[in-house]
Amino acid sequence: MGPFVITEIISENTNFLLAFVIGIGFGFVLESSGFSSSRKLAGMFYGYDTTVLKVFFTAAITAMLGLLFFSLFGWIDLSLIYINPTFLWSTIIGGVIMGAGFIIGGFCPGTAFCALSIGKIDALAFVGGLFIGIFAFTEGYPLIEELYKAEYLGIPTINESLGLSRGVFALILIVVAVAMFWIGEWAEKKFPREEY
Amino acid sequence: MNTQKDKSKKYLNPYVGGVLLGLVLLAAYMISGRGLGASGALKSAIVASVETVAPSHAENAAFYKEYAETHSGSPLKSWLVFEMLGVLIGGFLSGALAGRLKWKVEHNPKITSKTRIVFAVLGGILFGFGAQLGRGCTSGSALSGMASLSLSGFISMAFIFGTAFMLAYFFRKLWI
Amino acid sequence: MNKLKARVILSMIIVPLGLIIAAIPENKTKQYKLDSQQMLNEMVEGNQFIVPDEVAHMLVQKDPSLQLIDVRSADEFDKFHLPGAINIPLNSILAEEWEDYVNQDVKMNVFYSNGVTKGNEAWMLTRKLGYENNYVLQGGLNYWAETIMNPEAPKNTVADDELAKYNFRMAAGNALGGGKLQASNTSTNTKKKKPIIKKRPKKKRAAGGC
Repeated sequence: MGPFVITEIISENTNFLLAFVIGIGFGFVLESSGFSSSRKLAGMFYGYDTTVLKVFFTAAITAMLGLLFFSLFGWIDLSLIYINPTFLWSTIIGGVIMGAGFIIGGFCPGTAFCALSIGKIDALAFVGGLFIGIFAFTEGYPLIEELYKAEYLGIPTINESLGLSRGVFALILIVVAVAMFWIGEWAEKKFPREEY
Repeated sequence: MNTQKDKSKKYLNPYVGGVLLGLVLLAAYMISGRGLGASGALKSAIVASVETVAPSHAENAAFYKEYAETHSGSPLKSWLVFEMLGVLIGGFLSGALAGRLKWKVEHNPKITSKTRIVFAVLGGILFGFGAQLGRGCTSGSALSGMASLSLSGFISMAFIFGTAFMLAYFFRKLWI
Repeated sequence: MNKLKARVILSMIIVPLGLIIAAIPENKTKQYKLDSQQMLNEMVEGNQFIVPDEVAHMLVQKDPSLQLIDVRSADEFDKFHLPGAINIPLNSILAEEWEDYVNQDVKMNVFYSNGVTKGNEAWMLTRKLGYENNYVLQGGLNYWAETIMNPEAPKNTVADDELAKYNFRMAAGNALGGGKLQASNTSTNTKKKKPIIKKRPKKKRAAGGC
């Protein structure tokens, strides 16, 4: 059955239309969870607001469980979904740079767009910065191409790399996440913040 | 306790929000076979503008050449561009329903809005560059990558949040 | 207290689901070996067949993703083979040295023999093991000779696309080494009726990423 566009249940153009609808859902949920506030987002790193951690992990686990169960029922062919390729160095260095950008700018690209849509001017500045950063990458590409393509590991899934079955890894992730939720609630009580 | 109650009225409960976000992500996989993303839409916009403004440059510079080889059609006719247009509308709708539509620079009262803007631009530059190098941002690589159990998704997640936690101390004046 | 409740409810849902998913073996039907019923379904669908025109088109375009695999004997291969083809005689199709060729996800392998039998057998053997990207040349070399090497000129009254097809076949035949080859009769399995042209479903992983 799924993914619908690969198995040609829907056409390319319908896929674009549905991308728009999915985007509306994405933006709506991000905004109503409070991801349009940079201070709320940054709060995670100081322990006073762990909303991001909770939403992020709950979402990843919900989608992961959905995919695993759908695959079990034969509703989706997991060998047809997109999995990010792993280029070890660029993923690590890119992650470090993004982490720095996160704590300095207070947004990530998705949340910045979401904040921009309700009129946050700091989000507009962040999006402007994104344009500059991406443009710097595309223009400087010849200089970093080697790093960008170094240490290609194919498209492994994490459970394959660890030698576990998907289900066992999923269970471990769930247990870790639940433990983190408890720690998060504790941290919020320990570092209380006023409303903003 | 009082403030917490206000907050839960104001924003969705984070676990409820998380489940809803997960369902949106699941729908993206079910329908399109791919996860959510954000920074890729900006890249499409940049490639499209370079192709329009400086076509000869786009034909010669390595990045645009590779992009054109691996993507057919107009760069703007991409899944992520449509999705991000949706995000703008979805965010606006939610903000409108909750009465949060307002032009403002949100910042810690201890810093000026000018400082906030400067650091926002700086953070954006870093994030934009890093997202290209790491082949996806928090939504495209970390969130979607975790849902699909991709190794690179977990690596990016660990390094994005790990770095931010480690640097948090040095930038504490910005936020607390 | 509302908040605590949501966390507890969520945990009470996701932990049992995690236990279930960890305990149940994965659904591997698509990725690994196919059972007989699945094989039968695939054979009935006949999606493994590729029409000669498509192969000729790819050859003319020098499409790097095409890998022709001749499953006839080495002698027959030496006498005549399609441009760029490699020779893996059917009896060594499962040999270890060829595994990298038949079990891969980069190229599109097209098996061919004189008729369709041997090519199709090669496809069945590899498909049963769950290998992807293997196809069979519709009608084999005999049909290839009929259509690409010595195309039959259509009548003047036919539709434009028939004419275009003929012109393409003439051009492709010339480009690929001339219309001299006669259909060989070594294979008795060639069906005379025209094979049905089917559209192959696209089965590529979705494109994505930022």
